[in-house]
Amino acid sequence: MTASTGKVVTQLAWLGAIREPREALAWSLADWERVVRVARRLRLLARLAESLESAGLLEQVPVEPRQHLIAEQRLSRFRIAAMQWALDRIRAVIDDPAVTLVLLKGAAYLGQGLPIAAGRMPSDVDILVPLDQLADVRARLLAAHWAHTELDEHDQRYYEQWSHEVPPLVHAVHPIELDLHHNILPPTARTKVDASLLLARLRPSRWPAWQVFDPVDQVLHSAAHLFYDSEIRDRVRDLVDLDGLFRHFGARASFWDELPARARELGLVEPLALAVHFCVEWLGTPVPDGVRGALVDGGLARSRRRWLVPMLGTILMPQEPDERSSWQRGAASWLFLARYHRWRMPWHILLPHLARKARLRAGLSPER
Amino acid sequence: MNHAGPTPVSTLGAIPIAAVLAALRGRGLWIELGAAVLRVQGDAPGLVAQLQSVYRCHPFLTQSGWADLHVRIERPHGLRRWLRPQVVFESDGRVPFEPFPADTALPLLEWGTNWLIGQRLNHLLLLHSGVVERGGRTMVLPAMPGSGKSTLTAALSLSGWRLLSDEFGAFDPVERMFRAVLKPVALKNASIEVIRRFAPEAHLGPEFPKTRKGTVAHLAADEEAVRRRHESAAPGAIVLPRWQAGSPTRLEPLAPQSVFGAIAFNAFNYKVLGAVGFDAVVHLVRTCPAYQLIYSDLADAIARLDELWARLP
Repeated sequence: MTASTGKVVTQLAWLGAIREPREALAWSLADWERVVRVARRLRLLARLAESLESAGLLEQVPVEPRQHLIAEQRLSRFRIAAMQWALDRIRAVIDDPAVTLVLLKGAAYLGQGLPIAAGRMPSDVDILVPLDQLADVRARLLAAHWAHTELDEHDQRYYEQWSHEVPPLVHAVHPIELDLHHNILPPTARTKVDASLLLARLRPSRWPAWQVFDPVDQVLHSAAHLFYDSEIRDRVRDLVDLDGLFRHFGARASFWDELPARARELGLVEPLALAVHFCVEWLGTPVPDGVRGALVDGGLARSRRRWLVPMLGTILMPQEPDERSSWQRGAASWLFLARYHRWRMPWHILLPHLARKARLRAGLSPER
Repeated sequence: MNHAGPTPVSTLGAIPIAAVLAALRGRGLWIELGAAVLRVQGDAPGLVAQLQSVYRCHPFLTQSGWADLHVRIERPHGLRRWLRPQVVFESDGRVPFEPFPADTALPLLEWGTNWLIGQRLNHLLLLHSGVVERGGRTMVLPAMPGSGKSTLTAALSLSGWRLLSDEFGAFDPVERMFRAVLKPVALKNASIEVIRRFAPEAHLGPEFPKTRKGTVAHLAADEEAVRRRHESAAPGAIVLPRWQAGSPTRLEPLAPQSVFGAIAFNAFNYKVLGAVGFDAVVHLVRTCPAYQLIYSDLADAIARLDELWARLP
């Protein structure tokens, strides 16, 4: 490990307390103040609270931070309950064994009762149905009083043609938004995933009618979601999720054999390589050496590694609470956004789309 | 529970302006509200004088082992630093609101901090109400539109009642006690003149004429309220005020079930707290007698409430 990587790990050392809550008992009040502020922003504070409570250690935390842990725990449990209730009602509305209903991301972790399900802070529910069932499912949801938020014609076209999801759905009675997908990545992107490959390997969840991706595909989806999304600030939580998934599913030896092969099949080798790199370097995730070597050396061309990894590292690293944004972070963010846009849409769609957004932001009318 | 380092020497109102300015531009100013500690930093023009006015009795703290809320009120970079200048509210890396005009730094701090409190303090049930205390029991004044809750809360705090908060009924569901969230009482529009007439000696901060709620001014918490900010207080009674022009003072008892809604559904975090919130409100409406107070004369209304308190079981 280089000196800079050593520093990186120290800055994130507090994350270890999520898995080993006893470590938190050694923290000073100043340590706690920093962790409460950063963890809340990273949406990991409730995760820490649940770990401490499960270990029977919450009462030993000083009262000042303990109040914040309890407060965040309540918020998390409320949102998790809202998610479960929404999923139950959606299942009741669809109520058709011919329809394939798949849980994604947080909903999937909850639906499988994974260790990383505790302490989540969901702001929306992500589900997926096959493309040929999308119109039907959407119609049934709209009939059950789910509704799209107001969108103009351009935004509607954006979603219909250039996106892997329909516009967000809201419901008067449910406090949580619904994101209905038909694929895990946008159809216009440079990296295309064949959704039918994912749908061919579904597994049951603990909830009737709801299925989840094969564990290997869940890991790949999480990695793709992290490294192919427009917003990477404060996404350390996704690395923590990946670490949790690697540890949980990686207990099965065949998982590590299947993972690289499936990544190649789906065209997701780069995000997987990046995920493995950062999880190992920053979180100490146990990944078998052979797998790690093959992925990182094979998955990341040396030239990309020289600029891509440091750039991602700069943005992924959470800002300290009273730290002002550095020029490096600003430059890295700009580069990252440029890379994302170039990946997300071909030039002929991207440029008009960005021009339109710029006009809207400047308060002008969207059409010329 | 140890909140700060050595005993503070003086109050915010008594300290030279340069010292407060240095604190705001440096590591910050710590303000103890009771249920939470607020740390403020920033270079917003005018904020120093405004804080010294409306937090005048609060101790001047330039260090502390803990703050619950970390807030910056500062001038933005770029054009709006100079052109029709603005100020921005930032907390822990997030900017939750649109900027305010630079001459309304204090309202931005007050409303922004209230928003943070409503979002964060979920270890307590946060009723939307004024809370004052007398003889160890609290009077809860739920905020309903047109109730004049703030005016009445301010007047009570100037008439021998200890102020806990004009906005938050911060109820600890475990201890079953109310805690202070001691910030200045926010008065709007006509209320400002009403309180000026009611208590000419009362210390009102500067008026802010063009906010989105009209004209706003703040009544500083007095020395006793500040001194007792860490003292929790037992529930006493619930009073739903309604100001009605020309009306004689009437105090009418209300059944618990008719108050449940006013308390529960008005609370900032009732939904989030789920069963804990429900049980807490049930406890409150069962143990606290409840009244509707209809009045037009402030002094007369307070006299009736004083009377009520003397008779409280």
